[in-house]
Order: sequence, then structure tokens, then C-alpha cells
Amino acid sequence: MGKEEAFVQVIKRHEGIIFKITTVYTDNSDDQKDLYQDVVYQLWKSFDSFRNESKVSTWMYRVAMNTALTYIRKKSRAGDRISIDKVVVKQTDSDHAEYQERLEMVYKHIHQLNLLEKGLMLLLLEGKSYDEMAEITGLSPSNVGTRISRIKQRLKSKINTI
Amino acid sequence: MELEEMQATWAQMSDQLEKQKQLTDKIILDMAQQRYRHKFSKLTIYESLGTVVCFTAAALIIVNFYKLDTWYLVICGIIMLLPLIGLPLLVLRSLGAIKRLNIGDKSYVQTIVDFTKAKKRLLAIQQLGIYMGFVLLLVSLPVFIKFKSNKDFFLMEKDITTYGLLLIAVIFFYFFSRWGYRCYNNITNSAESILAEME
Repeated sequence: MGKEEAFVQVIKRHEGIIFKITTVYTDNSDDQKDLYQDVVYQLWKSFDSFRNESKVSTWMYRVAMNTALTYIRKKSRAGDRISIDKVVVKQTDSDHAEYQERLEMVYKHIHQLNLLEKGLMLLLLEGKSYDEMAEITGLSPSNVGTRISRIKQRLKSKINTI
Repeated sequence: MELEEMQATWAQMSDQLEKQKQLTDKIILDMAQQRYRHKFSKLTIYESLGTVVCFTAAALIIVNFYKLDTWYLVICGIIMLLPLIGLPLLVLRSLGAIKRLNIGDKSYVQTIVDFTKAKKRLLAIQQLGIYMGFVLLLVSLPVFIKFKSNKDFFLMEKDITTYGLLLIAVIFFYFFSRWGYRCYNNITNSAESILAEME
């Protein structure tokens, strides 16, 4: 199998990862599309150096999240606009209003987090174990645990104040 | 919204995404092989244009340098040359450092740290550029008057218009620098807080 063919297969199999990461780190569809292209480009660029030492998805999370970080460098973190726009609604193509509302609420919570927490929250929602999160983020598993419980606490206190 | 509810909603979205694969082979390869359109590349183009302007001005000064016939005009000329040549090179170098960050091999945390450091360096240089611009504004007047009219600014008779124009330029630059400094400061502070959090 040629490199291009193998790459295309990997991307097709995991395109949901790219979609989710790009929606978490952007707040409008133009930025999301831009970031999506950047992520695919970066994955292609580092595809040669990917040696199956880690799972494909782990490698993809790492590259995509790192690309997102460099992409949003110029955005003001403090003033993240919560204009989920049509990104989520359009792409998930669901008519269920209540579901859309919940989904927007999820994104709203994520957008309120800082860069590191955003990444961890994303991985938590993806059902990753602390070890996998550690491998992707470069933190130790115990550090991941500490930070996750901090995020959970903050989430709880937010819910209580609502 | 509870975490469990968030996870359930997320899982529902993941399921939907799984069902609607949208990418074709062609789209994927087009995206992968497209020319890298990074915003920093755009910034590099602007900075490169700025570099050309600065280097042209520097060349103009070097070619006419013999006209600066007093020690203080020579100093003014040198003070002008240093930032005109040095600053664009420094800015391009820091932009290059940010662009060279190897995304594929690093962890998320390491990327945050590397990027934040590179960004801080770039911002510090651009901040330096603001101050140097102010100095440049002041010393360019005697140098260009000498080049244009062969007059010594420090000895020539100055009318109220000359002082007025100088004052307006200084006031404009003061507010411009203050605004620029505030912008840079905000971004640098946020970069610093990210670094502090990583330690």
C-alpha cells in the first residue's frame, strides 16, 4: 500500500477526531475549516515519522491538538466568543433541538477552560484513560488525574452557581 | 450540566460523526498537499515587506552617509541604521522559530511551553521595536534634513512650524506606542500565565 493510500485510510477512519478537535479549539466555521486543513496538512507532514509506536488515534490527537494550539495563538483566550455558529449544528446534522442545545452547552463549558484544561476535557469526553491522556499531553498520569479532578470541581461549582 | 451528561452528549455526537463520513480521498490529499497556509506565513510576508522597506531606508542612509559631516550627525545616522537593519532580522528570526516548532514529535504540554516561549520572545522584540521606532523618529529628522537640504538641524534656525510638526509627531507616536505597548502587554501576560501554570 502506498503512502498516500495508507494516509487516506487513516484519515477516513478517524476523521471524527479531527472534527471534534477543530470544533473545540475554534469558535466559527471559517476558523474550523482552516484549522481542519492545517491539521490534515500537519498529519501528512508527520506521517513518515509515525512509526506505530503509539496507537494511530493517540498520534492523531497529539498532532491535531498541537496544531490547534499553534493555530489559536493569536486569539484572545480571555475573550473566547461562544459563537458555536453552525459548526456543530451543520456537521452533526441533527434536527433534535434538545440535543443541539445540550451539545452547545458542552461546547460552552469547554470554551471556558484554559488551553491545557481544554485539551484534557476533550480527551476526558473521548473516554481516554489517564495513561492515554498522559501520553498525548506529556503530563504524568498522576498530574492528569489531579488536573481532571480540578476540572470536575470547577464544573460542579459552575453548575451549583447556575 | 453534569459531566456524565456532557459525556453522553459527546458520545451521541461521536456516533453521528461516525455515520456521516464526509471526506473523499481527493479532499484528503488536496488538504494534505496544499501549500501550507499558515497565518504566520502571512505575517512573515508582511514582516518581509517591512524588512525590504527598512533595508531600503538603511541603504539610502549608507549611500548618503558621507554627507553626515559632524560627529553628532554621524551618531544619529548610526542610531538609525542599527534598528533599521537589526530589528527586521530579529523579528524574522523569531517568526522562523515559531514556524519551525515541530508539531508532530512533541507532546501537547511541550508544544504549549515551546510556543509560549517563542511567542514571548517575538512580542518582546516587537515591543523593543516600538521604543526603537520612537528613537528612530527623533533621530531621522536631523539625518534626513541633512540629506535633503544639506542643513544641520541642530544649528539651523527653526520656525514654529518645524517645532509644531515635531511635537505632533511625538504626541502621535506617544499614543501609538502606548496603545501598542498595552496590546503586547496583554498578550505577553496571557503567555506568562500559561507558562506559570505549566510549572
